[in-house]
Amino acid sequence: MKASLTLLKRSVWKGPHVVPLPIADAIKNKTAIRTNARSCTILPQFVGVRFQIHNGKEYVEVEITDNMVGSKLGEYAQTRKRFMYKYSKN
Amino acid sequence: MGVHVFGKSVKHNSLVRIGLAKVIFGLGYKQAEMLCAKVGIYPQMRMNQLKEPQIMDLNRELSQMLVEGQLKQKVNNDIKLKRDIGSYAGTRHTLGLPVHGQNTRNNAHTAKKLNKLERFRI
Repeated sequence: MKASLTLLKRSVWKGPHVVPLPIADAIKNKTAIRTNARSCTILPQFVGVRFQIHNGKEYVEVEITDNMVGSKLGEYAQTRKRFMYKYSKN
Repeated sequence: MGVHVFGKSVKHNSLVRIGLAKVIFGLGYKQAEMLCAKVGIYPQMRMNQLKEPQIMDLNRELSQMLVEGQLKQKVNNDIKLKRDIGSYAGTRHTLGLPVHGQNTRNNAHTAKKLNKLERFRI
């Protein structure tokens, strides 16, 4: 119903924010792409490719599915850990 | 006293467009106005002046729109989809915390109230 809301996200003339990634190689060799570009938009061409996305500490492995198209890579690599209280000896 | 439209009781002396917008989930003032215009109810008409065929018309139009149960189901499904694909928004919903980067040191009460996997019980 509110199709205009998608247009309000970002100027159309800019296109989606994408950084150059070796997609063709990854599809051919079935290797994972290691990247730090968390703000890169997921394009339909990325579907089925495995990514290793940096979360600030290590690389989280994520396989891209249909539903993820349109969101950013960083959404699938959590940067925060839940707080757990550790009991100390004394 | 109430007039029954789409399985809901609407206050009998309210304007049709306002009474519908208040009672039916997913129908705002603007949408209700458009609905009335489509069915052929003039804006000043009140709920108790409605004739039986007009109520039938309203019911028929409303059943084709995305309101009430269907809309609630859609919202639930959208949240569940986000959880299933493992996105950040999905995890924030399951934790009951704000999704759009608000502070959580204090407050965040709206999110604690609303953000869960099943927002609406149907």
